[in-house]
Amino acid sequence: MTQAEHESPAQAKTTQNAVTKTQSEGRKESAAMRFLRRWGTIIVLVLAAVGFSIASPYFATVSNLNNILFSMIVSALVSLGLTWVVIAGSFDLSIGLTVTTSSILVAFLIPVLGPWAAIAVALLAACLIGAVNGVLVTYGRLSGIVVTLGVMFVLSGINIFITGGYQVPVGYDETAFLYLGQGKLGIIGVPVVILLAVFLVALIAATRTRIGHYIAAVGDNPMAAFYSGINVYRWVILAFVLSALMSGIAGVIVTSISSSAQPVGGEGYLLEAFAAVFLGATVLGKGKPHLLGTLVGVFFLYMVDSGMNMVGFPFAARHIFQGLVLIIAVGANALLNREEVHLKFI
Amino acid sequence: MSGTALVELKNLEKEFAGTKALKGVSLSFLAGEVHGLLGENGAGKSTLIKILTGVYSPSAGEILLEGAPVRVSSPPEAHRLGLGAVYQDAELVSSFTVGQNILLGNEPGRFGVSNRAIHDEATAILAEMGIDLDAHRIAGTLSAAEMQLVTLATLFHRRYKLIVLDEPTARLSATESEVLFRIIERFKKQGVAIVYISHRLREVQEICDRATILRGGLVSGTLNRGEVTEDRVTELMVDRNRAELTTHNDGSRVRPEVLLEVTELATANLSPLSFTIRAGEVLGVTGPVGGGMEDVARALGGVVRHTGTVSLHGKSIDVGTPIAARRSGVALIPEDRRKQALFPSHSVAENICLPVLNRLERLLTIRPGAMRRYADDVMDQLAVRPRNAAIQVRFFSGGNQQKVVIGKWMSAGASLYIIVEPTNGVDVGAIKEIYDIILQLAQDGAAVLLVSSSLRETLALADRVMVIHDGNRVAEAPKTDWTYDELLAVTLSGKSKTAA
Repeated sequence: MTQAEHESPAQAKTTQNAVTKTQSEGRKESAAMRFLRRWGTIIVLVLAAVGFSIASPYFATVSNLNNILFSMIVSALVSLGLTWVVIAGSFDLSIGLTVTTSSILVAFLIPVLGPWAAIAVALLAACLIGAVNGVLVTYGRLSGIVVTLGVMFVLSGINIFITGGYQVPVGYDETAFLYLGQGKLGIIGVPVVILLAVFLVALIAATRTRIGHYIAAVGDNPMAAFYSGINVYRWVILAFVLSALMSGIAGVIVTSISSSAQPVGGEGYLLEAFAAVFLGATVLGKGKPHLLGTLVGVFFLYMVDSGMNMVGFPFAARHIFQGLVLIIAVGANALLNREEVHLKFI
Repeated sequence: MSGTALVELKNLEKEFAGTKALKGVSLSFLAGEVHGLLGENGAGKSTLIKILTGVYSPSAGEILLEGAPVRVSSPPEAHRLGLGAVYQDAELVSSFTVGQNILLGNEPGRFGVSNRAIHDEATAILAEMGIDLDAHRIAGTLSAAEMQLVTLATLFHRRYKLIVLDEPTARLSATESEVLFRIIERFKKQGVAIVYISHRLREVQEICDRATILRGGLVSGTLNRGEVTEDRVTELMVDRNRAELTTHNDGSRVRPEVLLEVTELATANLSPLSFTIRAGEVLGVTGPVGGGMEDVARALGGVVRHTGTVSLHGKSIDVGTPIAARRSGVALIPEDRRKQALFPSHSVAENICLPVLNRLERLLTIRPGAMRRYADDVMDQLAVRPRNAAIQVRFFSGGNQQKVVIGKWMSAGASLYIIVEPTNGVDVGAIKEIYDIILQLAQDGAAVLLVSSSLRETLALADRVMVIHDGNRVAEAPKTDWTYDELLAVTLSGKSKTAA
């Protein structure tokens, strides 16, 4: 038998080092890159704000900030809700219609049950929608897209059914209820305060409790979570419930803001929410959705909208800009965060 | 022997389509013992483990856990009973830190989750086990070896009673292996039973309290610590009664011209390696799983980053990516058929015709008739059963799936076929047919690189055999110079025959 020629150990070692080095080089990044990844989205946001401030004297004012915040409330609540589901590794297309359903329910029930019970029922109904989504996605073994798409259609039918296609007004004497959407605390609108309160509670749940911890674990690697003794289905269902609950809150506020519930129109929030969630994933270089990022994302979209409006861009141009910002922000983040092989297209 | 039987297997049998993989195995694992499990490929090791972890259910026999009979009907059920295994991948939450992973599911505190508390506790665990890692590091940035160590650290909180470690050092360096052994020590102290599967004899000698050798679906012997010697193990492992495979490569297919020339091929797990293969020649590469032999195949197929040059027909070729390798005439038939080589819910015809679709087109549309005829032709040649090209591939047996994979590349006309573990998960009846197909590829003038951990397979098919151990080639010789026992000794010890 021929004796195999042994490589000298030293020589083998150097080549091995060389190989490991080339492999780790891709991962090592300069401080500038790291800075850009972490703050890139925020920098663009600030630059855009500075640009608008220069172009329009009305942009950088307290009243405009107030306007932006007020206009983004519903969208922000829906987006925050969707963030839970995306973190859990699924999709929720039913959020927009959940807003409408909750909005209609509360408007219908106020004369019957009084405002507080009506709100409670509307929110419970929203949670029920979330629970149905969650159970079908887990125990029902259906994909999140399919389930929530189906639920979306069902809700849109129900909404038109119970309203007959007409709007549902809320009496002007319901001052307590209308205060939720139209009241003011100093110069800040009450719904803005509600949004911030919901955001803070959600943020604490996401970062300081088992809820956020386990939903993130389940979304990232359900198998690892399962083998760690975590009840995976429970947390996925909870993510859907939280998503629907936040859409439900949004629905209540919509009704209060406009003193009526519209049978259609909730669909629009859905796409905005997805844009905000994915834009938000790039904030602080996390590379995955998080609540603060989502809030920044929504603010970005509405700030740009307001700024372009003031500078006098047509409506169409605003959509083009928002679309491009989304693709560029997420794309730039992906470029900064190269995987070896990219084979996911969802 | 001190300690009580934690898990007792009684007369376990498992039958696959008429072939008995286990023929009545009785074995006990004690609390706090490290029990080595050795055996050739096909001896029944993996079947036994799969029964123990709920992947298969036994055809006969029973499992006693702490004296009471249990039914391990599924992997979750095994997990609930406290029978765990370390799976190679999919074990860590990559966006979480090392500490968050170690304590996942058992975070300190009642409702709130304090990252500081988690990282403090995880740091203590890491320090105690001697794992030199920052608990704050994100799991996704760890190397494969570091991930494996962290995976082991996560087991502390899962409260397993028995843990199966399958070739755990395959991806670890010597120092990391030491850490692994310390972790195993700690499990022992907790009274956990460890089933340790390894082809590396030195490890078994070092850490196992007992070692059981399986042979042909039966327990061939259980050795106590100190009795585990190369001679004894070889003697117990080699199945003298096993019918020799009727396939034998007599070397008549080798042609004089050198087809493949590889110079200084190296990857992260493979020291620079140079070799050649002639036209019609089958080079068998073997060694312990994870010892580097896989990287020869993966590098030449363009799947893993590597250095070195490769030339085919005397011309230097690019194998930087799978596409480049394919274009240069290299066909890689990977081990994991379902994940890497087949489209399970497509029909056989669609799978087989994939590489040659452009030949079956007219005016940019695929002619279904031509596709059908082509697939039928290939199926006839390879004796794929059932012979119906319209059936989805996932309904076929492992052996027939493997034939479809080979069939897919056969007429695509590659010059080099790299075939990894071709009979893994293949029913016994189909093995010979697959061997014949592989030899036919060589007969037709291609170079064949066979990577297999099965020594019988290597000796049956190869003209030359190379052994790779810990990333180094430790031996290479024409097949005729090897006996089975010699080859087994070299793969077990990592020492070449003359040096030993």
